[in-house]
Amino acid sequence: MKRVSSLKISISGVRGIVGDSLTPQLAGALAQAFGTYVGGGPVVIGRDARPSGQMILQAVTAGLLASGCQPVDVGICPIPSFLFLVKDSKSSGGISVTASHNPKEWNGLKFISRDGLYMTPHQVEEFLDIYHQGDFVYAGPDRLKTLRSEPQPVEPHLKKLLCRFDADLIRRKKIKVALDCGNGAGALLAPRLLQELGCETVVINAVPDGSFARPSEPLPENIREVCRTVVKSGADIGFVQDADADRLAIVNEMGRPIGEELTLALAAQYVLGKKKGSVVCNLSTTRAIDDIAAARKAPVFRTKIGEINVVEKVLAAEPAAVIAGEGNGGVILPEVHPCRDSFTGMSLILEYMASSGRTVSALQKRVPRYVMIKDKVEGSAEQGYRLVSLLRKKHEGEGRTSLLDGLKIDFPDHWVHVRPSNTEPIIRVIAEARTQEKAQAALRRIKKEIAELKKRL
Amino acid sequence: MKLLKIGISGVRGIVGDSITPKLVMDFAAAFGTRVGGRPVLVGRDTRISGPLLHSAALAALISTGCDVLDLGVCPTPILQYMVPRLKAGGGVSITAGHNDIQWNALAFINEDGMALNPFQGAEVLDIYHLGKFDKVSTDRLGRIRDVALYADEYFDGLRAFLDGGRGPGRRTRPGKQAPGEWRANGSPLGGGAIAKARPKVVIDACNGAGAPFLEAMARALGFELIPVNHEPNGFFPHDPEPRPRNAQQVVAVIKAVGADAGFLLNSDVSRVSCVTETGESLSEEFTFPLVTAEYLKDRCGPVVTNLSTSRMVEDVARERGCPLLRTKVGQSYAVQALVQEEGVLAGEGSGGVALAAFQPAFDGFATMGYILQTMAVRGRTISRLAGELPRYHIVKEKIYCPPARIHSVVSEVKKFFRRQEIDASDGIRVEDKSGWVQVRTSSTEPMIRVIAEDKAKNKARERVDEVSAFIRVLVQ
Repeated sequence: MKRVSSLKISISGVRGIVGDSLTPQLAGALAQAFGTYVGGGPVVIGRDARPSGQMILQAVTAGLLASGCQPVDVGICPIPSFLFLVKDSKSSGGISVTASHNPKEWNGLKFISRDGLYMTPHQVEEFLDIYHQGDFVYAGPDRLKTLRSEPQPVEPHLKKLLCRFDADLIRRKKIKVALDCGNGAGALLAPRLLQELGCETVVINAVPDGSFARPSEPLPENIREVCRTVVKSGADIGFVQDADADRLAIVNEMGRPIGEELTLALAAQYVLGKKKGSVVCNLSTTRAIDDIAAARKAPVFRTKIGEINVVEKVLAAEPAAVIAGEGNGGVILPEVHPCRDSFTGMSLILEYMASSGRTVSALQKRVPRYVMIKDKVEGSAEQGYRLVSLLRKKHEGEGRTSLLDGLKIDFPDHWVHVRPSNTEPIIRVIAEARTQEKAQAALRRIKKEIAELKKRL
Repeated sequence: MKLLKIGISGVRGIVGDSITPKLVMDFAAAFGTRVGGRPVLVGRDTRISGPLLHSAALAALISTGCDVLDLGVCPTPILQYMVPRLKAGGGVSITAGHNDIQWNALAFINEDGMALNPFQGAEVLDIYHLGKFDKVSTDRLGRIRDVALYADEYFDGLRAFLDGGRGPGRRTRPGKQAPGEWRANGSPLGGGAIAKARPKVVIDACNGAGAPFLEAMARALGFELIPVNHEPNGFFPHDPEPRPRNAQQVVAVIKAVGADAGFLLNSDVSRVSCVTETGESLSEEFTFPLVTAEYLKDRCGPVVTNLSTSRMVEDVARERGCPLLRTKVGQSYAVQALVQEEGVLAGEGSGGVALAAFQPAFDGFATMGYILQTMAVRGRTISRLAGELPRYHIVKEKIYCPPARIHSVVSEVKKFFRRQEIDASDGIRVEDKSGWVQVRTSSTEPMIRVIAEDKAKNKARERVDEVSAFIRVLVQ
């Protein structure tokens, strides 16, 4: 199998290995290209807690200054607060130094447009053209700006959350919360938010120093510590954030993870009960969303995988989307800001608990139960593409198929989704059904078909 | 045409033109690679472009595994003083010294706190050209740390030196006395003499890196500071070149307040020029002889200067029986010779002076301190001290020449001096009894400099005009 390149410059940003492909020269040139693209003005810059963040951030600062932009340094900052700040401060854009869930030797850059959203693929293409052509603005001393620091980057976001949600209602309930920030950037806002909402909070992994005490992804197998904390402290709920605080997993009052797919489902159930509008989520998100929406006669729009695709549909949905997100724990409340936001997720769930007076496990029971199994098989992107077209021919006329992203086939009682990964040489295979057995059977069937088809490639 | 000068002691250019983040990162990475993972001090002057170069240099240095000790806005001589004291592997000073606001530069300092010597400079250049920089993994990246209170350490050291202690001079090999070390116990100039006289001193820092440090200096040495252009904001009210044409403000203030002396600094305090209490703005050529005339009374030793510097210092050294050495222009060459020849002083006509017993670096603070100390101890005004020096007339001219032809044009000037003996160690230099003339390339601009000196003013002018006319024909 082909080795994965240690440098990836793509429409979702740039990622590389520090000490190898991701050099200060590269980061500086990309930042200068970005500064050229946005045409000057303030650009918010920040980073996650990775140890190489400081080095890359210095290089980004130099590149932006050279292009005549004014870097506004927020240091380590949760991504949702960062995005919110870009828009709230009327900046020209933002650059976030982060490699999301890659191992710690990686780092990367994500580019944010002036509306506080990740740049769309066509915007990234325009900006990468500038980078590849090396056609940068070089500002002379008469046009150079100075670096500015923003010591309180989360304030506008916090203010927005406190005025959007019914803080008084939540405060009265004095909910007890166990919080696991995973030593990520979430620690800079989550404890304060919960305090403002009157919650009694037990916090673990609250030092945003990049020493990941657990794998960053808030999957059930990675969050046992907070489950124990919920039980020991008698908390009403446990919250788990990933490293950049855009995803949220929930643990119920019995210390059991409800499953990351259910974060969005719970949020949708609450929001759709109060407000009319549509739901946007990606193809692989649980079918529970469809059931919840159908009960309220709300349309559901499915998109390709990738936050940017969900967000683009949110901005264009008719009727307007009132809730959106991904099955990985990413909740988007367009009213706050169209991005995945674990803080919004927490506030929503707490308000749901407070207004309904129910426990998490009780709320969880009202969500239709499905079991999703995620698996993968080896294969390059090209193999994956050919497999998908063979599978499509084979299944023509069965169920409801979608070719938006790989192949998804909806059967009356289950669905399967086959999709080549765009970050690793694997093909993702996902199946969901009402029970574990049925999901497993569906997965086995599709994997067997793939194995047979692979022989013909 | 891009203006970029890559030299042995650093790289200098116009920001937004030749000075780009990539160039700065590549040079800083080359320097970090040479330093090999030891800590590096970084400081800058106040130029608007300072933060750009600073960020780029920091990113590159820590990417090679060097820790950065960040001094922020810091004059180069103070950075140099701190390098051995913080046991660093070297230093990077971000400053274009006397060049105008368009320019900026990286000046590299070795582990002894001296400008890189020509061999060390060549190593950095080789690594730069090869492009093979150390790249360390995430766990071994350098860290950035701020350094606090270093100014106090520096000025305590300067006061101790002026008061005649052995002074925390440059590190010497054990069992061997440092050149120019004070011979007597106690000061030949007298301890605390400046504080006793408490002179009024006007200093124009040109809103450069010196500004935030002058109050500490005045406190430590005990003079009354009257600052001019004292905001370290990077807007230069005039060219940051200490010389008479930039001295109007200081002259005006000296007259208004009745001050005892005035000084002009460049943007990183490596050069000084003086203004007398009568409001006469002395040529920058006076600074070095003013120090030398007094300094050689107490310790004799080799004096180093460059081929373009006035004969004043030559006469002063001869009178005291000390040898004078002339090197190529540039701090790197002068200081290298100072150390190698165990000299006591090095200096240039541009106003840079290194006192070996204090530190082998062009140091504007030490220069001002020594001149003030001389005034106090000898009870003489600065105009009187300047009056004691032999007078020469120097005439300087700059002629633009395309960089691609600049060296061949200078070389062709040899034809003009067919009958004389030519010293070609820095450009072309010809000397006779009453004076000399030199033609050389500027180390910072695409210019040919013509410098002549003579006892008679019209003779100096004549020498320059003749050669300049010849060069202009060659350039066209």
